[in-house]
Amino acid sequence: MKTRWEFVLLPSFVIIGILIVASQYVFLNGSFYKDMGLGRIGDSATMVNYIRFFTDSFYLNTLWITIKTSALASIFTLILGFPVAYLIARMRSHWSMLLLAGIVVATFVTIVIKVFGLIILFSADGLINQVLMGIGIVDRPYTIIGNQTGVVVGLMHFTLGFGVLLLYSVIQTIPRSLEEAAQIHGASRWRMHMRVLLPLSLPGVTVGALMIFNMSMGAFTSAALLGGGRVFTLPVLIQRTVMMEVKYSMAGTLAAVLLVTVLLINLLAIFLIRRLRAARLVIA
Amino acid sequence: MAIDKSNQTSSYSSMDMVTRLAARRPVGPPPKRGLPWGKYFHYFFCSLSYIFLLSPMIVVIGASLHGGEYYTAIKFPPDEPSLQWYWKIPKGQLEALGLSFGLAGLTALGACIIGIPAALGIVRGKIPGKTLISAVFRAPLQIPAIVTGIAFLQLYYLFGDATGLYFQGTFLGLYIGHLFVATPYVVGTVTAILQRFDTRLEEASFSLGASKLSTFRRVTLPVIMPGVYAGALYAFMVSFGDVPISIFLTAPGFVTYPIELFYGMENDFDPSILASASLVIFFCLLVLLGMQKLVGLDTLLRSGSR
Repeated sequence: MKTRWEFVLLPSFVIIGILIVASQYVFLNGSFYKDMGLGRIGDSATMVNYIRFFTDSFYLNTLWITIKTSALASIFTLILGFPVAYLIARMRSHWSMLLLAGIVVATFVTIVIKVFGLIILFSADGLINQVLMGIGIVDRPYTIIGNQTGVVVGLMHFTLGFGVLLLYSVIQTIPRSLEEAAQIHGASRWRMHMRVLLPLSLPGVTVGALMIFNMSMGAFTSAALLGGGRVFTLPVLIQRTVMMEVKYSMAGTLAAVLLVTVLLINLLAIFLIRRLRAARLVIA
Repeated sequence: MAIDKSNQTSSYSSMDMVTRLAARRPVGPPPKRGLPWGKYFHYFFCSLSYIFLLSPMIVVIGASLHGGEYYTAIKFPPDEPSLQWYWKIPKGQLEALGLSFGLAGLTALGACIIGIPAALGIVRGKIPGKTLISAVFRAPLQIPAIVTGIAFLQLYYLFGDATGLYFQGTFLGLYIGHLFVATPYVVGTVTAILQRFDTRLEEASFSLGASKLSTFRRVTLPVIMPGVYAGALYAFMVSFGDVPISIFLTAPGFVTYPIELFYGMENDFDPSILASASLVIFFCLLVLLGMQKLVGLDTLLRSGSR
């Protein structure tokens, strides 16, 4: 009578497993060969690409910019996203559906379209510059295209919708009654947030923050279009190395560094959370 | 913190009622007088977030209505609104849209075919190392998207060199890449629903004489359906909006809509792009409305992304 569910799983597991192992193996392996130009690679394994990466300040700087913009975007996404997620999660009227719909649409519309809107908005004769110059805050058109501010704004547009949805599901798991209990006992709004909401949501928020950070580290579109060929993050550089320089091995090396960096940062974060939890600084 | 999840799904739990009744009468110290500035600040801050989040899309739709001369065509707010650009969307963009729709639809379907059995196996199978197995199914989401793109490109080159079958720039090649990143969403949403599934429903069905297959079709499937819809929607949207994977796996003359837009923006763009982009935004709204009618947005989200 019992169904053997583990056999149901098998075909899917094999398909995904093969795809993961094969794709990851091929580029990791390729990263250990030397590019010979025109997409051909040398025949003996070497560390030359990795040595080049870690000795060339351009590549190291790219890695640093990638981490910096991703971290900034994650922090600002949390700051902008948490109040919205809290508002929607605690709302009792049907308006919450409308607010939620706004977030979901922003999440689902492809980032290319959103970046498109940003570029129009921030163009030299765009709405923002008209307003800024009209008030007299700036006397020359201000642009976010081609600088790191632009990349951070672009990354935020990529992650904010997802971030709000993640935080929304985190806040929903915290019973409203706990907050009400705190307020009935005379806690101020601020105190309730700091002593009840924050500790309870912290584990979920950290996991969400890591996801947002991971998304930003791999984000190509917003960084490529708003970087305008002047700001290079690792994803942008990977695409250029393949499409313009046709150096598959070097691109493989860059991809490997990106993958390992993301992995290390995640492990580090998990380790730190464990330590904090053990020290009872975080309740979870 | 062990919090009973089933308590939150019903919005009128007894505890909730008690606190709600209690909240009507002032208990504890009387509330402070004056305006609730904290609340106003919260609303103000949230509206800023919404403006930030939604303004690019509003700008795209607004600018697509511009009716003036060709050379000053990208303008927001638009003067003399007209729909002229909607009639001038070139064939290339329409073909790209068609490809994206087909690809995303098939990706959603394929992700369900792979993802639903996977979720069933993860939740119900009696196998050691379940955490590891579900980690494998989640892995495509942990790998940065651009890495997946270049990894599949190189895999296809190697496979082509070995067998003579080059997947790069073909529909199948693109499809496999999209399926790879879309499947985890279905696995995630269906797993979330299955974990709350009351197996007594199935036992009842068996004891009433239903066969295994008919129980699955008439009891299990309807219960997990919201999760399937949610997962399929995520899969569709991820595929429909993808750039970092498609950019490596498409070829000239064979591009998805986001890639067409991407290259269109790198070069000088034609305002008809704004029109087609607005159509895509409206399409997303429409899908959302459909989902709201079908399963409800909160169910959609409660089954959890990722």
